[in-house]
Formats: sequence, structure tokens, C-alpha cells
Amino acid sequence: MDLYITIKVFLMFKKLIQLGYICLLLAAFNSCSAVRSTINAAGSNIDALLSEPRKIENKITVPYAPEARLAVLWVGHATVLIQIDDKFIMTDPNMMNTVGQFSKRLVEPGIDAEHIPDLDAVLISHLHIDHLSPASLDIIESKIHHLFIPQGGMVYIPDFSFPMDELKTWEIWESDGLRITAVPAVHNGWRYGLDDAWMKTSFTGYVITYNGITVHFAGDTAYDPELFHEIGRQFPDIDLTLVPVSPIHPREYSKVRHTDPIEAIQIYQDLNARFLTPIHFDTFPESADTLGEAGSILQEEMSRRYLTDKQVVILTQGQRYVYIRYEPTIVKSKQGAESKKQ
Amino acid sequence: MSGYHHKLIIHLLVICLIFPLTAAPASEQDSTTTQPDIKPTWLWGGAQLIPSPQWVSKDPGLRFGLRWQVTPVLYSFGLNRRVSPWRFFVAEPLARQNGSLELFISPEYLNITADPGDRWLLRGGLRGYFPVYRYGEYVSGSLATSVYTFHGKTGVSYEGGVYFFFGIIGFQATYSPSLDPGKWIFTLRLRYF
Repeated sequence: MDLYITIKVFLMFKKLIQLGYICLLLAAFNSCSAVRSTINAAGSNIDALLSEPRKIENKITVPYAPEARLAVLWVGHATVLIQIDDKFIMTDPNMMNTVGQFSKRLVEPGIDAEHIPDLDAVLISHLHIDHLSPASLDIIESKIHHLFIPQGGMVYIPDFSFPMDELKTWEIWESDGLRITAVPAVHNGWRYGLDDAWMKTSFTGYVITYNGITVHFAGDTAYDPELFHEIGRQFPDIDLTLVPVSPIHPREYSKVRHTDPIEAIQIYQDLNARFLTPIHFDTFPESADTLGEAGSILQEEMSRRYLTDKQVVILTQGQRYVYIRYEPTIVKSKQGAESKKQ
Repeated sequence: MSGYHHKLIIHLLVICLIFPLTAAPASEQDSTTTQPDIKPTWLWGGAQLIPSPQWVSKDPGLRFGLRWQVTPVLYSFGLNRRVSPWRFFVAEPLARQNGSLELFISPEYLNITADPGDRWLLRGGLRGYFPVYRYGEYVSGSLATSVYTFHGKTGVSYEGGVYFFFGIIGFQATYSPSLDPGKWIFTLRLRYF
């Protein structure tokens, strides 16, 4: 009987010890910020998978703004519809409800695909699944006049009917006054992970110039003061810069790939641009960032640096903002062009 | 192996050789497009060592097995015409899952004999992949035929597969009319490139 009790007690202790080990393991995991961030990210992804993307009321159906010399409609994430006079340029088109099959869109695209106008240029910054979406290119294929991809990126662009070209860093393409320059960024060029070993050049930013207006699209990038000062020297009259502000966390991991809101503002100042509009936030789950976090940090940093909301223009998905307007007399003569664009 | 099987394999090999010649004119590979410098790496090599678990039919029930796979050569007809469609050993998901033909070799371990040292099957064959959804990155399918050698005997197999998540996870069903036990093999295909 004594032996039986001894064994029972031993087994009970063994279970307790096992439980203790599990608790210790969990505590160790929880104390590691990378693990915690991963768990948070998984949580927010599961949360998004179980809910529908937020609807956008009164979406714009006619994106052409006749009064605008420079206007932007933020479709969401890194997808931006830029209007410079009569030209339309779109960056990293992504109209899908998920990226990577599991990361679900939080807010629906800011414009319906059928209302996207003819695009003079589409710019692909790199090949990550949230930036290069072949299925999105499929949807707007007939509207794309020319696609640009970073050097080495062609391998992941299936055949389409529109012309496409790789641009090396600092390489220029020009047609009908529209000039596209590939500019440096600090990121990585793989799509599937293991291809990191050979996809060494397929990431870029772009500078678009047309009729004296200059827009910088940073793509995905980390902050490098030398690099952005150099872009600023090459393009001293940047009107607008579009810079990603998320994922912020875990910072140790993200810092070498992604700018946070503070670094985005620093880029804006390094470039000496007139306007900054943040992108790449609050559209898909962004690592462990919470909704609204990037915007709050931006606001704080703007206050700290005495920047106004006329300089740092924070858009919501589907919102169009006119940065530079025509003189009123010119607007009248542009009315005819409006119907043509529709 | 019957004469019919021989003919079938010869036909498939001829298709495999002729199709690439008709599909993509080499002239479209221009000098302004960067050709990817794809190469096996240690990490890739490590990933190839991960076996795919499989279940082999043996009355009564199913027995466990493992399958590895090597692709000496693949021709992709899902890539941009301006890049080379040929892949040797390493084939990215778009190249493979968006439509391709590959020659493959698969060593397999089948737990269907009494002697553990006598459970190795070697298979070589031709597999065609086709995209089903989102350029095959989300869903793709495959059909294959192969010749195997097991216990000194050879035979042919027919295989169908479906793949998800960039082709990393898939299910394959392999039917070998003259392999008994083991007519049916169901594989949970795990493959990272």
C-alpha cells in the first residue's frame, strides 16, 4: 500500500514538474519580444480572417480631378493612384482580399477596379506578395500602358499584353514628357524566401516627373540618410513623397527593412519635399502593429517637428487629395478634358 | 511492363522534348531583361532533405512511407517569355506551379516488406503542372507518369496531385497497377521549391 501511495505521489509530482516546465517555457517565449510579436501578428491575422474588410462609403468613381495638377487617391497599402495633369500612374497595384492567402485585407480597396482610369505607368517596387499581385494586374490589364519593375524582377511577372521594362537604379525611361527614374531603396528582392540567394537587385523606389511636377515613391525601404540625401540632391524639387510607415514592430527586425513613421518624416525632410503622404499601414495586418498606431506616432512626430497637416497629408483608403491646383482660369479650359478622361 | 506502357512513356518523353521548342521563341529573351542567376544553396539543399510522408495501401489498411524528390530539369511555360524557361534542380513556385513539365526522380521508403533494408523504391518520371487559381501560387494541379524499380522489378505508375500555398503543400495519389502491395500511395507532398 505504501509503495502504491509513493508511486501515486511521485506521478503527481512528475505531472506538476512537467506543468512547471511548460509554464517556464511559455514564460521564456513570452519574454522574447520577437516571439510575442509573432504571436500578436498571428492573432491579428486570425482576427482579420474571421471578419469582412471594412466597407468604404461613397467611393470615388471618377478619379480624374480637372482642377488638379497633382492629386493622389490612396487605394490602400502601397497602392496609390497618382494624377499629374493628364497622366495617371499607379504604384504596386493590389486589389486582392488577401496577401499570401492568409493575411486578409482590413479595409476594402479605395476604388473599384472598373473605375480605375487608363494608367500611363504602373510601378512595381519589389516582388513581395503584398506589392506584386499578378492577379491584380490581371484585373486591370487592359488599362495598363506600361509596367515598370526593378532590375531582375521580370522572372516573377507572368506574360501580359502590356509592355513592361526592368529599370536599374538611376535608369530613366521617358515618353511623352513622362519620366520615370528608378531610385535606390533599402529592402530585399525575394518573393518566396529561399530565392533571397539570387534575387539581389529586385527592389527599388521611383521618381516620377511630368510637366515640372516631381513625385517620389519610396517603395518599401529602410532608412538610410546618405541614400535619401542623394535622391534629394538628384531631384531638388520633389513635390510629394510617398513613404511607408509600417510595420513598426518588432523594431529590431523591421528597422533594416521598413521605415517607421518617425523615419518617414526624416526621409521627407532629407528629400526637402513639399508634401509627405504616408502609405503601407492599416490596410493589411502589419506584423504586430495595432490599427491606428502608425497614424498616432506620425501625429506626435508632426507636433514635435512643427509640421502641419498641409505638409504631412495623412489619407484614409479611398480618399483623394489635391496637392497642387491649376490656376482658376486654366481649370475652365480643362473641363473638356474631364469628359475625355471619364 | 507491357508494350502499351513502353509506348506511353516514349510518347510522353517525345512531348516533353518537343513542347519546349514550340512554346517560347528564344529571340524574346532580350538583353534588357535580367536572367535570374538561380543556384542551389545550402539552405535549399537542406529543404530538399525534408521528406513527404505517404501512406501505402496494404491489406488490411495503410502503411507508412516517405518520399523525396529531385527535379533534374524543368521547362516552365508559365514564366514571362523574356526570361529563360529552363530550370535545373531549383524551380521557383511560379516557374513550377504556373504550368511546367518536369523530369523527376523520387527515392521512396515503403513500409510494406518485412525487411527494413528492402523497402526502398526508386522512381523516375515526367510530371506536368497546371495552374488552377492565381497563377498556380494559390492552387495548382499535376498529372504524372513514372517508372519505378522495387525488389528488382520495374513497373509504371500514374499520379494526380493538387497543391496549395505556392506549391509548398500538396496531395498526390499514385496508382501502380503492378505494385502489390502498394497499388495506391497517398502522399502529403511537402516541398519548398
